[in-house]
Amino acid sequence: MSISEMQKMINGHARIAEELEICRKYGIDYYSQRGKWTQAVEKYHPRRLELRVSEKFAENADTTTLRLVSTSGYFPPFRAGQYINLFVEIDGICTSRPYSISSSPAQNAYYDLTIRRVPNGFVSDYLLDEIKVGDVLASTGPAGHFYYSSIHHGNELVFLAGGSGITPLMSMIREVTDRNLHRNIHLIYGVRKPQEAIFHEELLIRAQRHSNFIYDLAVSEPEPGYEGITGFIDADLIKKQIGDVSGKTFFVCGPREMYSFCIPELEKMGVPGRRIRREVFGTPAEVTKEPAWPKEVKADAEFTVKLTRGQVINARADEPLLTALERAGIVVENCCRSGECSLCRVKLQSGKVFQPSTALVRKSDQQSGYVHSCAAYPLTDLEILL
Amino acid sequence: MDYDVVVIGAGNGGLTAACSLAQRGVKTLLLERHNVPGGCATSFCRGRFEFEVALHQLSGLGPAEKPGPLRHTLSKLGVVDQLEWVEMDNLYRLLVRDDLDITLKADREAAIQTLQERFPAEKDNITAYFDLVYQFCIELITIYSSRDPEATPEKYPAYFEYALMDTQKVLDKFFTDPLLKLAVSIYWGYTGLPPAKQPFSDMAMLLFSYLELKPYHLKGGSQALSAAILEKFLQSGGEVRFNCGASKILVEDGRVTGVVTEHGETISTSYIISNASTISVYTEMIEPEHVPAEQLKKLGGSTIGPSSITLYIGLDCEPQEIGINETTNFLCASTDMEDAFTACWEIESHNDYTLVSCYNISDPDISPPGTSQVCIVDLKYGESWLNIPPHQYFELKEKVAGQILDRVEHYFPGFREHIEEIEVATPITHMRFLGTPGGAIYGFDQYAKDNNMFTPPRALIKGLYFAGAWAGMGGFQPTLTSGTTAARQVLKDIKRQAGVEI
Ligand SMILES: Cc1cc2nc3c(=O)[nH]c(=O)nc-3n(C[C@H](O)[C@H](O)[C@@H](O)COP(=O)(O)OP(=O)(O)OC[C@H]3O[C@@H](n4cnc5c(N)ncnc54)[C@H](O)[C@@H]3O)c2cc1C
Ligand SMILES: Cc1cc2nc3c(=O)[nH]c(=O)nc-3n(C[C@H](O)[C@H](O)[C@H](O)COP(=O)(O)OP(=O)(O)OC[C@H]3O[C@@H](n4cnc5c(N)ncnc54)[C@H](O)[C@@H]3O)c2cc1C
Ligand code: FES
Repeated sequence: MSISEMQKMINGHARIAEELEICRKYGIDYYSQRGKWTQAVEKYHPRRLELRVSEKFAENADTTTLRLVSTSGYFPPFRAGQYINLFVEIDGICTSRPYSISSSPAQNAYYDLTIRRVPNGFVSDYLLDEIKVGDVLASTGPAGHFYYSSIHHGNELVFLAGGSGITPLMSMIREVTDRNLHRNIHLIYGVRKPQEAIFHEELLIRAQRHSNFIYDLAVSEPEPGYEGITGFIDADLIKKQIGDVSGKTFFVCGPREMYSFCIPELEKMGVPGRRIRREVFGTPAEVTKEPAWPKEVKADAEFTVKLTRGQVINARADEPLLTALERAGIVVENCCRSGECSLCRVKLQSGKVFQPSTALVRKSDQQSGYVHSCAAYPLTDLEILL
Repeated sequence: MDYDVVVIGAGNGGLTAACSLAQRGVKTLLLERHNVPGGCATSFCRGRFEFEVALHQLSGLGPAEKPGPLRHTLSKLGVVDQLEWVEMDNLYRLLVRDDLDITLKADREAAIQTLQERFPAEKDNITAYFDLVYQFCIELITIYSSRDPEATPEKYPAYFEYALMDTQKVLDKFFTDPLLKLAVSIYWGYTGLPPAKQPFSDMAMLLFSYLELKPYHLKGGSQALSAAILEKFLQSGGEVRFNCGASKILVEDGRVTGVVTEHGETISTSYIISNASTISVYTEMIEPEHVPAEQLKKLGGSTIGPSSITLYIGLDCEPQEIGINETTNFLCASTDMEDAFTACWEIESHNDYTLVSCYNISDPDISPPGTSQVCIVDLKYGESWLNIPPHQYFELKEKVAGQILDRVEHYFPGFREHIEEIEVATPITHMRFLGTPGGAIYGFDQYAKDNNMFTPPRALIKGLYFAGAWAGMGGFQPTLTSGTTAARQVLKDIKRQAGVEI
């Protein structure tokens, strides 16, 4: 007896076979529904956005805002604090940099990116000097986890910003004040000189108009006679401005050094880790100065990287593998360029790389030799699976 | 041909299919659109936590001295010994408001005893029910594994009587207390349909397999398993491409001829095993003129199963500090399982049954000392999430997460205060990462008619095979097994074709 004959003897078999026939006869037309799930996802996570520069305005001497509109007319929603990874092609090299959206998600007509010039910066120079109104750029959709959650952050927020780290926090401040959300924000913005502060006027006005927003500017290299708050954002300064820290959630965004300085200060004051949110670390300005860097490898050391299909490229010790690949014209998906989102993962077949301690590589990836190419610096010749 | 076989998707089914083939010397290419293997069986990092995405309780493995079917499957691939398996002592703790708080051991006698102590009036029925579950499963296994040619209702009475009966009918036959019915059938959440809609064979096998072979987890989570299978595949000469989705399957004269990648590259092959859903394959990847009408009709007879709202949470305290003492906890607002199922269609979370897994109880290494990793799941159909206004998405998602956490807080006071990291995945999130219609996590709804008995995954197009949830049932054991089954069928056909040519 065959299995199907045997199964026909099961109690209820005929009834279910009949039910199946009916279900098929009046079945679902999946063909007519094709694509609807992909389209739903695309509303939130488009693979690429095409953006046109609609305005470009200076915020201060070395900072400019690019106001971007979507060429398709549609922008996915984002959470105040998220960034997009902006693609550029400069001198034939395709690369990208993440920039926080500084405008408020309360409106969806444009995304503002506020870009500060970095000395000798490859992309920031280009964006500030070359990009004109009307130019079209591509980016990823909004990404990142530096945002407010009503689930566990409470209503008492303290923002600690350094330099261009104000941008994601600005989006949050704009959202809360524009929409009259019931959250109190106290911003302490650290800069070296007062004229470096981005959005200073707007922050003053918003603070004046909204009792739930307080703005303190802290200047670390004041001119003689400067009357405002001075010094680095340390425990003393925070205590003086904020008072009691209990029940407050801190959002910290700034250069890498700021995290290694401010977060221990907060911990010293007894702020639990769950109440400290930080943006991704970015890349070290000089990776060879990282404590764990092997001294025998010099910054300008050059190695070769062999790819799966035999191609061989060169890579410097002080540049992330991702940069070396981009220089060679090889495209690797990437987003945060900080070692934390895992999008740029590649498999190392042989050789050694330096990975800053801030890279978030999963245990199984470490075990099977996967690295985040944006946070992996060659220490020897390499072979990678790509 | 560029490759003998192209496997589309590196989820559980795709991985075991690809690995089995490569180990038999078949030239195999594995395509994955995401940048990591595993599909659901993966993990991701947030702060100091590495979150398990999908695996709660692995079924079918069994201890080394009493291997279950999954241990055999994984042993053949050579991945069992290098992985560190974590056996769980208990099935689950079930909390129903203030009416029931019961923890069942993963042991037949102990489970029966606990139930009898709590439900003394139904003492004998409890024994009888477990006897039936065991008799049924042993009959089923005997029939199918020994391929008994003389399988008759006289010889296997339980199987022929109950296999297609709905679970609710069996529960009603044995028990009266709704709390007791719930206590023995709460595992329905692992297949997606409540007892009134679920065939008894699914329920019985689930309970039997966890009782006999114990629930398992593994060190490093499901990602460790995915990584191990991928490594074996690569070591056996298999090739994999990440960030490389398949966009088209090429068919000529009713036979697979190749695949086109999302980057536009055409790869020729005579066999494709798809871990991508049958729905995507037949409605999007193959040109309509090559899809037999009969195939679309068959497809239309099944409905898309549930997705979920999943909360991935890192707590800054030990689980015991807030009263979590079991790995697996089910929280139920009522004994009305049909009501709970209706709630799966709603966006908000009011009457849902909620699964709260805290891995630290059985594996303290899953998160840093002094912390815990908790994964909370509410089954939700994806359909309702498709049409919400995008600008309301984040708010809605936090609202629903808040509703779920309010319930969790009721049973585990202090929970919310200890949240250090939280990620909320909606059906949209699952659609994004799994690429499944509706963000479904178990494939099609598993009514009796959707059983392989009535709906075998066989394709009408030659050279096309399926592995994974859409090829049968969802869940780890079924999908891992389905890959090796598909690989076996492909090998058989390759050999047959070679024989014909000679
Ligand atoms: C199966 C799966 C695998 C993922 N793998 C990675 C990964 O390898 N690296 C990575 O950085 N991010 C991963 N993610 C998350 C993703 O990269 C994005 O971070 C997130 O931006 C999604 O956007 P969203 O917030 O609008 O989506 P939503 O639908 O709102 O997503 C909810 C948030 O929950 C998180 N999340 C929920 N479920 C999962 C999950 N199962 N796995 C991971 N994150 C989840 C996401 O990070 C996301 O931020 C994965 C998500 C899923 C579901
Ligand atoms: C999540 C996120 C959000 C961000 N948001 C903003 C924002 O809102 N506004 C903003 O202005 N910036 C933002 N940044 C920083 C931004 O992404 C760029 O890093 C910045 O604009 C500098 O890029 P660049 O190409 O001009 O500089 P790079 O060319 O990358 O150079 C930066 C500095 O590093 C040195 N350097 C260059 N190349 C290397 C190398 N390969 N290795 C080591 N050192 C090198 C240069 O000499 C220079 O001093 C953000 C970064 C992250 C991660
Ligand atoms: S781009 Fe995010 S980890 Fe490299």
